[in-house]
Amino acid sequence: MSITKVFYQTILRRPSRFFVVVAVGSLFFERTLDIGIESLYDRINRGKQWKDIADKYA
Amino acid sequence: MFRNISTAVKGCTEVVATTSTKVPCAGKPSKQTVPPRPIYLTNFTLQSNLLSKKTLTPVTATQIRLVHTDFKVPDYSAYRRNSVKDPNASNRDTYENRNAFTYMVLGTAVTGSMFCAKAVVHKFVLSMAPAADVLALASIEVNLNEIPEGKNATIKWRGKPLFVRHRTATEIQAEQNTSLSELRDPEDDSVRVQKPEWLVIVGVCTHLGCVPIANAGDWGGYYCPCHGSHYDAAGRIRKGPAPTNMEVPPYKFINDNTLLVG
Repeated sequence: MSITKVFYQTILRRPSRFFVVVAVGSLFFERTLDIGIESLYDRINRGKQWKDIADKYA
Repeated sequence: MFRNISTAVKGCTEVVATTSTKVPCAGKPSKQTVPPRPIYLTNFTLQSNLLSKKTLTPVTATQIRLVHTDFKVPDYSAYRRNSVKDPNASNRDTYENRNAFTYMVLGTAVTGSMFCAKAVVHKFVLSMAPAADVLALASIEVNLNEIPEGKNATIKWRGKPLFVRHRTATEIQAEQNTSLSELRDPEDDSVRVQKPEWLVIVGVCTHLGCVPIANAGDWGGYYCPCHGSHYDAAGRIRKGPAPTNMEVPPYKFINDNTLLVG
């Protein structure tokens, strides 16, 4: 609980820090979403993409 | 000041003639009749009775309710945070946790919105970038092994002729020794070439846009057949109507044998 209080007092209470954290957080969020969806796509299409069969030809 | 005169003279209900000797009494008793109670059927009758200042009986109930013991106090505990459900709990002890929760919800929403906004902006900015087919034609690679010394190769680049000239040692020497004072558009040879053996210029005459002929003219560089401009082996204007030197495009040497233009 005290972590929440420190977090609130240091970051959330100050709009400047709050928006910096949100902006940086959105970058990480974007990257995580990209990687996650990419890996999901690869798992669904396993064996169908060029990178799966490239070692047979190249 | 005279505002109250009307109330003072209101008692006199008759016009007094000046010739009359009888002074009418201000408090002359008159027969008072109670007007019949108006019937307010419509807004019009109500308004006209109000305007004529007739007696208006108050119709509003003025009863005051004093006993409230049968009122149920609404229960808001479904809307309260657990930490403040206890009536004796202090707000100060837990407000940081409650506010932190609220701000975290807000922060998550703003993060998602920022991600979406960035995606939209990115899409629109990318639409201003050149298309892939344009980018594919924007730059070309030239194999320098195919151009023997002393020859000039003409290559199409972005719809214009590109001259790649393999200069001889004599030409290099001549261009490097040319004094800037002799030139109409003074540019040193070292400014126009990256490697002295290779001259890369856009093969368009700066006069009216003809394509000059290589290895011709008084200086052995280029000669424009349209109006007789003479260029030297560094593409600099030496004689004729053209005002400036031929343009040097952006280029770089990928390795010793390959040139990338664009």
